[in-house]
Amino acid sequence: MEHATGLVLPNSGHNRDAEASKMGMWLFLFTELLLFGGLFLVYMVYRMLNAEAFLLASFELNIALGTINTVVLLVSSMTIAMAITAIQKGDRKTSVLLLYVTVALSLVFMVIKFFEWSAKINYGYFPGMEVYQNLPAGESLFFFLYFFMTSLHALHVIIGAVFIAVVIYRTNKGFVTAEKYTLTENAGLYWHLVDLIWIFLFPLLYLIH
Amino acid sequence: MEHKNEQPNEAQGHHISSYKEHFSTLAALLLLTVLTVAVSVFGADLRSLSVATALLIATIKALVVAYYFMHLKYEHKLYRWLLLVVVLLFVLFLVVTSIEYLNR
Amino acid sequence: MTTATTDLNFFQVKRGLFSWIFSIDHKRIGLLYLYSLMTFFLVGVTLGVLMRLELLNPGKDIMEAQTYNQVFTLHGVIMIFLFIIPSIPAVFGNFFLPIMLGTDDVSFPRLNLLSWWIYIIGSIMALSTLVFGDGPADTGWTFYVPFSVNTTTNVTMSVLAAFVLGFSSILTGLNFIVTIHRLRAPGMSFMKMPLFAWSLYATSWIQLLATPIIGITLMMIVAERFFGVGLFDPSIGGDPILYQHLFWIYSHPAVYIMALPAFGIISELLPTFSQRTIFGYTAIAFSSLAIAFVGYFVWGHHMFTSGMSGTGRIVFSIMTFLVAIPTAIKVFNWVATLYKGSINVQPPLLYALAFIFLFSIGGLSGLVLGALATDIHLHDTYFVVGHFHYVMFGGTGFAFFGALHYWFPKIWGKMYNITVANIAFVIFFIGFNVLYFPMLVVGLMGMPRRYYDYLPEFHIPNMISTFGSWILVTGLLLMLGNLVAGLFNGKKTGRNPWNSISLEWQTPSPPPLANFDKLPELPEGGPYNYKND
Ligand SMILES: [Cu+2]
Repeated sequence: MEHATGLVLPNSGHNRDAEASKMGMWLFLFTELLLFGGLFLVYMVYRMLNAEAFLLASFELNIALGTINTVVLLVSSMTIAMAITAIQKGDRKTSVLLLYVTVALSLVFMVIKFFEWSAKINYGYFPGMEVYQNLPAGESLFFFLYFFMTSLHALHVIIGAVFIAVVIYRTNKGFVTAEKYTLTENAGLYWHLVDLIWIFLFPLLYLIH
Repeated sequence: MEHKNEQPNEAQGHHISSYKEHFSTLAALLLLTVLTVAVSVFGADLRSLSVATALLIATIKALVVAYYFMHLKYEHKLYRWLLLVVVLLFVLFLVVTSIEYLNR
Repeated sequence: MTTATTDLNFFQVKRGLFSWIFSIDHKRIGLLYLYSLMTFFLVGVTLGVLMRLELLNPGKDIMEAQTYNQVFTLHGVIMIFLFIIPSIPAVFGNFFLPIMLGTDDVSFPRLNLLSWWIYIIGSIMALSTLVFGDGPADTGWTFYVPFSVNTTTNVTMSVLAAFVLGFSSILTGLNFIVTIHRLRAPGMSFMKMPLFAWSLYATSWIQLLATPIIGITLMMIVAERFFGVGLFDPSIGGDPILYQHLFWIYSHPAVYIMALPAFGIISELLPTFSQRTIFGYTAIAFSSLAIAFVGYFVWGHHMFTSGMSGTGRIVFSIMTFLVAIPTAIKVFNWVATLYKGSINVQPPLLYALAFIFLFSIGGLSGLVLGALATDIHLHDTYFVVGHFHYVMFGGTGFAFFGALHYWFPKIWGKMYNITVANIAFVIFFIGFNVLYFPMLVVGLMGMPRRYYDYLPEFHIPNMISTFGSWILVTGLLLMLGNLVAGLFNGKKTGRNPWNSISLEWQTPSPPPLANFDKLPELPEGGPYNYKND
């Protein structure tokens, strides 16, 4: 907003305030944490009510694919953190390269996820399918939560990848510099949240035997 | 929720993490991942104990990500306090709900 | 050029519809909210009046049972999601928070505009349920399963609307928290901040941390309606009470999203009209945070009769009694503020006093419901309906109209007719009590809520209540008519008609685009340090 028409206050909110943007991003992450938190609450209660069934159902998941995806996300977390270091040092080229690697890893994650989902759907474990309807009590709840939680997480992966793509574009255009890199930082924070959620989803869905 | 008038530092980027630090962080995270998978695959008889270890390892991993990758370690302490309040709130949701369900 | 345009107020800077609906000026966005909120409020009032008309006599008066179910659901959805939750923060928070902090806008002005647009989209979605399919949801605003999953009415659309509106609420809260942290005037520490800002701070945290829970819960309803797998079906290991838990984990804190800003308004009004410092600034400020925090853990008191465990019920009941403490701290501090003040009886003060009176009735009747034994008798009776109307309408509603009368001269630079405002207030206040007090009585007698019909022995209180609704509407129309007349023919006011020392009164009325024409000066010795103390 132009403020040619009045007094400019020392604490004007329209000045570029990197700290405010970062704080806003953190607050948004808190919201996201509680969004998934609601699902974790449902998971906890249903696991308490159906301990055996959850155990049996979780054996159906592929630990190898889950582990690979965990590694993929962890590495992508590192590459985006490095991209921030790079831009802070004024190394635009490396920063963009690392961001490209992060997006590529997000695609790897999605491809693996896709194969995992198709395997489950081929078995008929998707909510509403015939096999699913005839699952013993509790196991169908597990698969419902599995699909609900992983697809909501995947949605966040996609949003994060698009966000990073925007950062790449802006960096190439020269809007992100060694002095002004809040955008990269915020994309990083968002991407780490995606990782954080997965860090909890992975043991809860795949590992708890 | 901070009550004193403490503004986080105005100057941006007073800390730049080194590539090396990022590598070590990743190494730690991968190690913890291997550990948690191993406990799950080989320690199948531990049952409820395995739930606790899995969640404990996940929490450590999450803290490592938050502290090093998300720079929480180098941020103003306001952020750590806020995160603590948020996590505490969520944990209390879980606790209160469990009290209800465990006593059915 | 600059000298000429500096004198323009924020209305005059630009004109035309687009300069409003795409404005990123927090003052214009506040007014956009005001106009849209008032429109939806009047729709909600109309639905309420229709319900009262139906309940004038036992049996069918003007509508079928199914229509009645849909009317009370839509009334609840509109009043809660479209009016009360955004009300004070979105209108007066947007307009006055930056000015009271001595800055020129919120931290993220574009995000602020986005919040308004999201709010409008959500509102249109909520109202669109009227025109397609089987009409508005008939589940009540709580969307309890399993009925909300089975009914053929437009539950999906209502639920999606609530989801979208929640997003708007989250973004407003986020914006306010960052604004309060980053943009306070130099020298204004947290402990020198106006109490209205404190209450918005606590409210914003609730918006930020409770709303996502309802978001995900409502998404589960949508998923259930699509896949129909029985997520809350006990026969496959689910639990319908879990839905109620999730719903109230948000919806009880939401009560404080509605009430805390109202507390903030009252804490502004009382010092101004008694020309005296607020009693117990620190206690009032921190009790907001205490209410916000403890208020997260009382949700179960809505489910005492749902089949929770005994231990769970006791825990929730104790916690409920605990929240009453910080709330009572506020009430006592307000009353103490008035003591030995030079009280200037003006319409805003009347609303503030009415607030204290009505909110106390609402709060105390809430304790009756928070106690396990009495709640079993009163659950789902008209006592509950009376209780929450005293809290929400008598509390937040009266604070909202008090704030409107208080800041009217600041926003528009004109004064409404004070005598008419006083008369309107009296009619409004009497109408309110005639409308809602019989509900408490008839609830104690055992009349259940959410039915279009009732037993003949409840006839007289229901008749009185319906008469009350007509008085209330008369008072409301007179009040709003008086304000609209003031917009056109009101006398011009100066900067500070109420003689307040708060920052917003240091600037011209209406304020210039940049909020201040000279650097704002913080009052010495705190925001409520009136000289004649
Ligand atoms: Cu409640």
